[in-house]
Amino acid sequence: MKIRNVFLAVAFMAVTLMASTAMAEKVIVLGYSLPLSGSHAQYGEVFRNAAKLQLDKFNKSGKLKGATVEITFEDSKSDPKEAINIARKFVDDKRIVGVLGDFTSTVSMAAGRVYGSEGMPQLSQTASHPDFTKVSKYQFRNITTMAFESPFAAKWAASLGFKKFAIIAIQNDWGISSAENFASAMKGLGGEITSIEYFNPGNRDFRSILTKVSRDKPQAIYLCMMYEEGAMALQQRRQLGITSQVFGTSSLYSPKLLELAGKSADGLMLSTTFMPDSPEPNVVEFVTEYKKRYNSEPNMFTAQAYDAVGIMLDAIAKVGPDVTRSSLRDALAQTKDYPGVTGSTTFDPVTREPVKNMARMKVEDGSFKLVK
Amino acid sequence: MDTYFLMQIINGLSSGMIYALIAIGFTLIFGVLNVVNFAHGEMYTIGAFAGIVCISTLSWPIALVIIVALAVGGFSGIILEKIAFKPFRRFQDEASLKSRAMRESTLLSSLAVSIIIKELLQHFFGAEMQSIPVQYLMNDPIPIGPISLSSGQFLILGSSVVMLAGLQYVLYHTRIGLSIRAISNNPLGAKYVGLSVDRTIIATFAVGSMLGGAAGIMVGLYSGAIFPAMGFAPSLKAFVAMVMGGLSSIPGAVICALILGVCEALATNFMTQGWSDMVAYSFLILTLIFFPQGIFGARRERV
Repeated sequence: MKIRNVFLAVAFMAVTLMASTAMAEKVIVLGYSLPLSGSHAQYGEVFRNAAKLQLDKFNKSGKLKGATVEITFEDSKSDPKEAINIARKFVDDKRIVGVLGDFTSTVSMAAGRVYGSEGMPQLSQTASHPDFTKVSKYQFRNITTMAFESPFAAKWAASLGFKKFAIIAIQNDWGISSAENFASAMKGLGGEITSIEYFNPGNRDFRSILTKVSRDKPQAIYLCMMYEEGAMALQQRRQLGITSQVFGTSSLYSPKLLELAGKSADGLMLSTTFMPDSPEPNVVEFVTEYKKRYNSEPNMFTAQAYDAVGIMLDAIAKVGPDVTRSSLRDALAQTKDYPGVTGSTTFDPVTREPVKNMARMKVEDGSFKLVK
Repeated sequence: MDTYFLMQIINGLSSGMIYALIAIGFTLIFGVLNVVNFAHGEMYTIGAFAGIVCISTLSWPIALVIIVALAVGGFSGIILEKIAFKPFRRFQDEASLKSRAMRESTLLSSLAVSIIIKELLQHFFGAEMQSIPVQYLMNDPIPIGPISLSSGQFLILGSSVVMLAGLQYVLYHTRIGLSIRAISNNPLGAKYVGLSVDRTIIATFAVGSMLGGAAGIMVGLYSGAIFPAMGFAPSLKAFVAMVMGGLSSIPGAVICALILGVCEALATNFMTQGWSDMVAYSFLILTLIFFPQGIFGARRERV
């Protein structure tokens, strides 16, 4: 009898303890729609890793008194239909005050229409299509658009004397807008575009495209693609003996590109917002923490997600534990000089576009070197 | 001729050869069982992953790596047969052997196995592309006059000739080849004269998947890209080549795979590559309309 009583007492105490902590700590939930399976799963994986890292850091920091934040991850498979279903689910969940994601502009914009009509703030770490923030006043992003980045690369190339370009771009919203923005900026600077070649997502054989674009003898080639495709294109370019200079979008920036392309990557020039070997203290902290926890190097995509989650959490901290969807949106819109690992970020008060600084890099002897 | 077109034809032949390598195993299995093995693309992926494991952990020479891929491919083929095909051949009477339901259920079970394999590979290796150490990469430029070839193109060309010749030898000069041909021609007749249908089918899977596995690692070394979903796109093209070649003619499938590759490469001259997949699908539709038997499928004997 005695022992049973002790057990009962302990059980009762445990239940009351749990209940009391639950009452004291309010839980604020964010949704994260990202590809965890399918052909873009490798990006989703690093987004989730970065988000968990940032979230743990935030909850430990005590910036938000009286509440903890949680993130619910949903697998969109990089499919617009899936992302719309997830958006409906997030919108119906009254606990969710804001949403992060998705990965590609196409998927983010499809889901964005749901978030826009239901008044849910959405912050994508990577959607860089110019129209993304035009979906509604609830869309934000932590990446400079190709309307900013492509002209930046064009100006840089022109200043080095490269004015006759061929463009190879992935055939999706992002690739098309990258290529078109670059082409119009180049033409504005008095340059010439010999051809724009689009390829299907998932294609790994660039030999026939490279053979075709090099027939027009461009001075340089601008690659608008992800780093995995970029590595293949660079290798096959070397095999075909094409020697024109290569410029690329920031999406090519990844240690994996060097690993996959080897010495074929030498000479590649690109613009980027994130450099893991930067001496900035917050970057050093992020890189060492990430390596310790996940045993791999963070890339530009990891950093984008880390900062996107950080910006969202900062906005929540500003409003306090009674945050709602509309107060979170307003706090996000007022983001100013957020000190992230991808540089300091401010949202333009009118367009909600992020204003950031970009770095220029060149691959030399198998590593990325900062160009002054 | 303009070297541009010559270069494009070489580009096309090298991608066509990849489709052909996959189409050989595909066609062999179709010829015997009369069902499409949707997991064949995964045998190719498994071969590639077996090779990369040998390279990264044991750093064996390339010849040995290809033999391992061959062996692992063949072994996976046998397991695939046991999981996805054998359970649907329980009833050996004439009606069930000819029933359409049986064929369709194996089609779906092989599709299921292919998805499971892909997810498992992604679970253990991650969805990222695996990098191949530079010394293994078969992508060294070999300039011949104005055109540029690569070492991998010679490897793929050479090994497909060897594989095709070896396969023809096995089919026409060995006992197991004779029973494969007998079963593909008339399964019931072969059964009644005392051939072991099960054993022959297992042998077919082993041979077909061996070729698939070896193709996987060779393409991996040539293109530098090994990832869980790598089997999908080329096996779709191999499927089109198989249909064009008349479903069960191996030489037909190889020739059609080469035609397909060259046409795709030349098509980039007239349209962006984003549209060039249309070439394969329009070939498929045109074949089905004008050559319902396939271009090389008119003969009675099938393998």
